[in-house]
Amino acid sequence: MSHDQIQNLGPWAEAAVPASLSDRKEAQNRLFPILAEKFGATLDPLDRWGLTAVVAKERLRETIFFLRDDPQWSFEVLVDITAVDYLQWPGHEGARFAVVYNLRSQSHVAHRMRVKVWADEEDLDVPSIHDIWKIANWQERETWDQYGIRFVGHPNLKRLLNHHEFVGHPLRKDYPAQRRQKLSMNDPMVDQLEARLRTLGYQLLDSVPESSPMVEDVLKGGR
Amino acid sequence: MKVLSPDGEKLDLFTVNIGPSHPATHGALRSFVALDGEEIIASVGEIGYLHRGFEKMVERGTFNQVLPYTDRLNYCSAIMNNVGFCKAAESMFEAEIPERATTLRVLLCELTRVIDHLVCVAAAMNDCGAQTAYFYFYNPREVVYAIWEKLSGARLTNSFSRIGGLYRDTYEGFEDDVKNAIAECEHGLLEGLSMIEHNRIFIDRTRDVGKISAEQALTWGWTGPCLRASGVNRDLRKDEPYFGYETYDFETVIGTTGDTYDRLICRVYESLESLKICRQALARLKPGPVNSDDPRLRLPPHEATYHDMEALIANFKLVYEGIRPPAGEHFDSIEAVNGELGFFIVSDGSGKPYKIKVRPPCLTQYAAFHEVIEGGMISDAIISLSSINIIAGELDR
Repeated sequence: MSHDQIQNLGPWAEAAVPASLSDRKEAQNRLFPILAEKFGATLDPLDRWGLTAVVAKERLRETIFFLRDDPQWSFEVLVDITAVDYLQWPGHEGARFAVVYNLRSQSHVAHRMRVKVWADEEDLDVPSIHDIWKIANWQERETWDQYGIRFVGHPNLKRLLNHHEFVGHPLRKDYPAQRRQKLSMNDPMVDQLEARLRTLGYQLLDSVPESSPMVEDVLKGGR
Repeated sequence: MKVLSPDGEKLDLFTVNIGPSHPATHGALRSFVALDGEEIIASVGEIGYLHRGFEKMVERGTFNQVLPYTDRLNYCSAIMNNVGFCKAAESMFEAEIPERATTLRVLLCELTRVIDHLVCVAAAMNDCGAQTAYFYFYNPREVVYAIWEKLSGARLTNSFSRIGGLYRDTYEGFEDDVKNAIAECEHGLLEGLSMIEHNRIFIDRTRDVGKISAEQALTWGWTGPCLRASGVNRDLRKDEPYFGYETYDFETVIGTTGDTYDRLICRVYESLESLKICRQALARLKPGPVNSDDPRLRLPPHEATYHDMEALIANFKLVYEGIRPPAGEHFDSIEAVNGELGFFIVSDGSGKPYKIKVRPPCLTQYAAFHEVIEGGMISDAIISLSSINIIAGELDR
């Protein structure tokens, strides 16, 4: 494809300038002092290969907004959200959980970093960022499911991978891997569909009780 | 379900479950949709039917014992998952691996990419009723699977890579087999492509179906061929080169509209580019070791353990404790078939991983699936699902 044709394709059609590891290190070294000054970020000593900035929960959203919207950094992609349970970490002191936000830039491909916030067992509330990136919705649901971190302001903080009747949070270090649970009922998901219809601008005039007729009803010829 | 639409029209919507257990749902995915006639008005998705607790299981073994689990993430391209995990672990050691191993990894990864794309496109053909094109796309994979069998003894779950190199060197006649496989795959791709690229029926089924704009794709965190089909020229092989990808001559294939047609055709052309890389890698393949001699990563040669005390100790420690990356947290990713496959590894300095989180490329694509299918027909939803290539093993982990 010729260069002229590529010009017509849209803002993202241009190939990026390849980034090396040293480019990334250099960008990270420039970025961190800015984060430290603006948002009181501290360096996470555990990340010895890249940049992980630790910020207070209260300043998470403004930090993320800055990182995404500042044209010099433009971290447009939320790669992943996960949590770490430091319960069995040798010599660990302080909050038990950390929530880790993995960011990447599309405009400057050398830019990658992580943002970390601590969450203590007594206060598992972390502000939700589902409105900043749509994908955060599912990633926060997964983190809630696996670690029990409560994302405040999330519209639908349901389990994502485990069954909705499941009790506990399996990736916590004190959850035994061999524990079995009996799970039987399916999730009707009617509430989610109704919420989705409302988001799309539909007004609901009545409600269906469940998503699929029960087998007994079908056999009896009902519905 | 009676609703009032945004333009004030009273509709009686019919709710129906698409999946979870249906051949067209590629695994066990459930979409609960509200229909007006055959048009999907709203949709919500549910996953987790194949959740096997990958992240919990890997915490119980050593780092090398993670490898067989990674096979089962995206089972259509197991070798690429192996390589992705090994690369993440190796970068924690900042270890160099020998040239033959990197070239072989590139070669195997690109062949894997081709067969994964072949499965995806073939399945999409099947889902829209094009049985002939299906066979042209599907059959060449057998030649590659025969190579996998000779290399690793397994067709699907190869576990071929190791941290610090590869399981073993290739067998005699490997180069000829690969040449044959490249020719077969190219033949299949070109024949299949000629059947669909300008085919009126196929274009009518896929053009402007399941459209996703570049902005939508970015906010949903899309990567890989689905993102490129929306016109975003990003590929980790080009942008953050690893294994010397910057020295290979290949193009990034991008689409214009981000519809189902673009996503499927991009995959075919991307496979042809991958075959280009395979040919170059094959030409570069020089004899040499396939494993690093770094004593932190690989066992010493077996003979040495009989004569050399250090080698015996190293052997003992590596077998009983496993390899021990430095304590810390690290994320590394590769351009896998469906996008960015990342591994977030937390190590406390012992032989067992403290935590490994997979960043599966499928999850971001499937999370946006309701936006892909809303406003379309049920049959459009099926072909859209094939085009975004959801592999449930990696989606649910």
